[in-house]
Amino acid sequence: MTHILDDYAVSSPLRYRNNWLKLTVVAFGILAGVSSNSPFVPLVIAVCMSFATVYFGKVPTGLYLRVLAAPAGFVMVSAVIIAFFFGEGAKLFSFEVLGFTLGVGSAGLNMALLVLARTLGGMSCLLFLSLTTPMIELFSVLKATRIPDSFIEISMMMYRYIFVFLEVAMGVKYAQTVRLGYKDFRTSFRSVVMLGTNLFIRSWEQGEKLYVSMNSRCYDGKLTMLDEKRPVRLPEIVLTCGYFVLVLAVFYFTRGISFI
Amino acid sequence: MHIFEGFLPSPWWQVWFAISIPVIMYGIYQMNKLVSQRREIVPLLAVAGAFIFVLSSLKLPSVTGSSSHPTGTGMAAILFGPAVTSVLSVIVLLYQSLFLAHGGLTTLGANVFSMGIAGPFVAYALYKVASKAGMNFYLNVFLATAIADWVTYVVTSLQLALAFPFEGSVFASFKMFALVFATTQVPLAIMEGALTALIMKYVVQVKSDVLVGLNVLTSSAATKLREAME
Repeated sequence: MTHILDDYAVSSPLRYRNNWLKLTVVAFGILAGVSSNSPFVPLVIAVCMSFATVYFGKVPTGLYLRVLAAPAGFVMVSAVIIAFFFGEGAKLFSFEVLGFTLGVGSAGLNMALLVLARTLGGMSCLLFLSLTTPMIELFSVLKATRIPDSFIEISMMMYRYIFVFLEVAMGVKYAQTVRLGYKDFRTSFRSVVMLGTNLFIRSWEQGEKLYVSMNSRCYDGKLTMLDEKRPVRLPEIVLTCGYFVLVLAVFYFTRGISFI
Repeated sequence: MHIFEGFLPSPWWQVWFAISIPVIMYGIYQMNKLVSQRREIVPLLAVAGAFIFVLSSLKLPSVTGSSSHPTGTGMAAILFGPAVTSVLSVIVLLYQSLFLAHGGLTTLGANVFSMGIAGPFVAYALYKVASKAGMNFYLNVFLATAIADWVTYVVTSLQLALAFPFEGSVFASFKMFALVFATTQVPLAIMEGALTALIMKYVVQVKSDVLVGLNVLTSSAATKLREAME
């Protein structure tokens, strides 16, 4: 149970900007990063989006770096595997372990660096979205698309109840911790089981109550929301266009270039 | 096991979306049918989804020292069936990527396939077959969820292997990814299976009517399990 990024998004100064603009910026960054063949494009995107998140979005830098490091474990392990085994060609260096020869080839190293850069670029775009746009704002965007209503209804109610249950879970966990419920492996397993069961039963009762309370308020299968009009301002357009041009220029000039 | 944003290169993330979307559409169709019959199911599904999200953000005590989180989808599949679980898992995975920076948007298709479709379908099939064969309920839940986790991890390794074949051989890279991630995923799956089975034990003890209402257990089986506990 870590910090939920939505908490920061709610108080972000970028929250009241046009949603579609933000989504366009993010989608552009993600797609450009994932389809580029040189590591420079995702790196440029990562720098731009991190700057936008930290400077315009006023996200604490330490927190930002910590969240950006979340995928580090998975990505590092996979990148090392790719570096050692991907592709053919001459090995840059190699060594012997237990009779096997392990070597890093140039193709493998390039691929590993590219994947690292892409993940960095992609994660910074994703973090821009999640640290500046609370989910409430995105629901109106989802409603404008052709996604089925029942799907959106369930996601909206789920959004609300995630916070309810997280609070319950945190309370129970504190109570268990102060009673030494996590002192060793056996007890902590027992504690997690009790916590999970309690959450399950609690959520079931909540669900039944929720139905009754919504029904008594004339719920007809559709929650309507106020979709605020937020015009895009000129400086935002200029900045976005400048960013797009920069990324596309880097994309064009670094085709096929790699570090090694 | 989540694949993070930007990790899958171009043809592959579209491929996994193309595979996942029809299944999700089918799941939404099934869900809409359920909702039109019993309208009270909407809030129940929503809280169930929230429960999966919170369960998957709990940290399991782990043996190897790495952080390990349950997926919760095996349990959802046993409770709600695989079609509905796949829809719920789309929302849960979307929220995980937005709220916890876990997963990603382009890799959502691949993650939905491994965690929301492959795992739950296997868990559900195993559970149904074994309960027909009269296996002990808790053992059945344990096996179904643990194997669902393994299927998820094998599918994720396969997804990585297809995207990054070693010297043209998908099998070689699959072996490598599967081998390395086995160190964290194999014990994690056992832990999650045990966790789910024990949760089910408490639920049978305290609120077995829920399980009967969801057709997880017949009422006679539930009574038998409760009697065995006393």
